[in-house]
Amino acid sequence: MDDRKDAKIMERRGFFKMVGLGAVAGAATLANAPREAVAEVAKDASGSGYRETELVKKFYELSKF
Amino acid sequence: MKWQQWGRRGPTGGYTLVTKQALQVASEDRLRADAYGLLARLLCDVPDGALLTLTSEITGDDSSLGSALSALAGAAATVTAEAASEEYHALFIGVAGGELKPYCSFYLTGFVYEKPLAKLRLDMERLGIARREQVKEPEDHMASLCEMMAGLISGAFGAPVDLETQQRFFDRHLAPWARLFFEDLEGADSARFYKSVGTVGRLFMEIESTAFEMAA
Repeated sequence: MDDRKDAKIMERRGFFKMVGLGAVAGAATLANAPREAVAEVAKDASGSGYRETELVKKFYELSKF
Repeated sequence: MKWQQWGRRGPTGGYTLVTKQALQVASEDRLRADAYGLLARLLCDVPDGALLTLTSEITGDDSSLGSALSALAGAAATVTAEAASEEYHALFIGVAGGELKPYCSFYLTGFVYEKPLAKLRLDMERLGIARREQVKEPEDHMASLCEMMAGLISGAFGAPVDLETQQRFFDRHLAPWARLFFEDLEGADSARFYKSVGTVGRLFMEIESTAFEMAA
């Protein structure tokens, strides 16, 4: 990763700090609360069957089914 | 040139594996995903008591976004589930359609099921995101788009996608109307509790737009 990209990442990180994005941490429980998810990993996503299974598994895990 | 799929050429001409570090979600990105997740959760369905209780437990801080989150928590603590549910119906469902139509296609063309939805479906296919069968609504609902952004950032749809991919998705499907939608929500006649959701959404979308410009 070059220096310019690094600097941009740092600048961006500083910006999020400045605008108080950290306050969202208090909403993490709600943001990740179980819910009827609208989107899911495409079942026919390209790639091998193994990868697909992993993706679907991860989706269910994250949506706490 | 198979190696390009998993590595990149280092400065010495050797191969460098993509490190685990690069695939981890940075703390600020975790927070962004949570912000999108929060908006998705608040907009995706009629609110119930559990949702309102969780919302009332949010603690903000002195920043604009933090104050808006505090106000949201305060509003959630005082509204009843019944009132909030009535509000949701008046805003988004209604007998003849709610006061607002939270769809990208509607905001950009005046009609639902128009070209912006078709474009979104193409991008979803590219990114490996599909709509669950029981969801009948068009995918360009604000709650769905926020959920997709959260998933792209956190890796809920596979690996987290890079910032450029996130930005492309944001620019195409959220930037053209998200700020306007949340402004409308803040100013909607039927909105009480959802006014505070509108403020949080508007401030966060402004932050996202600025941050993406910085990264470009």
